[in-house]
Amino acid sequence: MTHSLHRSGTLESLKGDYVWFMYQAKGINDTNIKEKAEEFIAAAELVGSENWGDVKTGPIVSYPKEYIKQNIGNKSRLRGVFTSRKQVTEFLSIIKQKNLGTSVVISGLLDEVLSACKEAGVTPHTINYSLGIWGKKELLPDDDILSITTMCGHHMISPNLVKKLVQDVKKGRITPEKAAWKLATFCPCGIFNQVRAEKLIDELKNKS
Amino acid sequence: MTVINQEKCTGCGTCVPYCPLGAISVVSKKAVIDQTICPNCYVCVRNKVCPFDAIEKQEIDTFIGQFQHIISDPVETTEQTGVPGRGTEESKTNDVTGRVKKGEVGICIDMGRPGIGCRLRDVEKVAMAVTSAGLKLEGEDTTPLAMLMEDNSKGKIKEEYLDTNVLSIIIEGKCPMETFPEIIKALQKVEKEIDTVFSLGVMVRVDENGYSPILEQMEQLGLPKPYRGKINVGLGRPLITE
Ligand code: SF4
Ligand code: SF4
Repeated sequence: MTHSLHRSGTLESLKGDYVWFMYQAKGINDTNIKEKAEEFIAAAELVGSENWGDVKTGPIVSYPKEYIKQNIGNKSRLRGVFTSRKQVTEFLSIIKQKNLGTSVVISGLLDEVLSACKEAGVTPHTINYSLGIWGKKELLPDDDILSITTMCGHHMISPNLVKKLVQDVKKGRITPEKAAWKLATFCPCGIFNQVRAEKLIDELKNKS
Repeated sequence: MTVINQEKCTGCGTCVPYCPLGAISVVSKKAVIDQTICPNCYVCVRNKVCPFDAIEKQEIDTFIGQFQHIISDPVETTEQTGVPGRGTEESKTNDVTGRVKKGEVGICIDMGRPGIGCRLRDVEKVAMAVTSAGLKLEGEDTTPLAMLMEDNSKGKIKEEYLDTNVLSIIIEGKCPMETFPEIIKALQKVEKEIDTVFSLGVMVRVDENGYSPILEQMEQLGLPKPYRGKINVGLGRPLITE
């Protein structure tokens, strides 16, 4: 599963986009997950995670936080997004102190995340590098659209829907903020970054 | 299976832009779903995109139909079907599982991503290319693709599944670091022979500064320096140090 690995966009835009994960491994450290998940959520909320969720229930852009928390079980997978390196550093510092024993993963620009690790005093163990898109690339939508659709790594967001919403924004039928929020509800994991999407949609509305 | 209730459909076209694969169109004032494209991701159903409630689910009663749906819909639970999720946890739990050790490389080829979808025929082409270059594919206990294989050691998929379309599926495996250049050369050749795209992930153990010699290999192979990745920060316990 590599659904957060291949987010595209300019370096500047990706500086506002990080995904956090809590992972337990079956038979190794998969006990008391609800308690641990609540600690993760508390830390993520404290530093301002704009979206998070559990794929078993859904993301906070679609469901009340309390409802998602109530439904957490030993097979839950918690994940969410940060919009700055500072949040990543603070989050890692808190989680390190809590010493919960589950795996923690941050997906984002390597230079930024590695320096956040250093600042937080955690040691990188394994990296999965994104080596980009291969094959018949002429089938792809343009880069602006991909920067938005790849924020749902399971590709539940249609490029045509992004184009339609950009048109609706241009015509004044919807604000960029509402359009970004609508797109976020299509990502069941809670890793769509609606804050970044709003900026991208706002930029797109001024393009021809 | 996803179908349009022709009696309820008004032909308004609201649903058309929501389909990630462009499988819905309006023909003679009624929406139709191209069943050769639709892998039953249920984006349209789950998000209730039809204001007239005309998009409906019909029971999927074949193994490959269920497989296609589960692999294309992340919300689907996999327990009842025997399909073990959508892939391994690759780097996510490597600090406690040690699946990929120092000196090894994990390869994750996300076929059909981003958002294009792929036929299993193209998945087979890529799987056969990388296995003959020395990649050992994950088995049935860790990755669903293995369930479709006639010969997992060769990446050969059963003939009857080859025309099936999925939103995406991952070819996963590992090899010694010395074999990495052969895998890349095989991918550079086969990428020209497929009718879709794939996103490539390369997973390695790193030192305390986040460095791995794989970066030098990438440079020697003329690959662009990776700038984005997924970092397991080593907080899982008990920690594997190999
Ligand atoms: S949104 Fe519903 S009524 Fe309109 S075309 Fe699609 S299926 Fe038919
Ligand atoms: S199930 Fe998915 S692919 Fe099929 S018509 Fe609906 S949105 Fe499109």
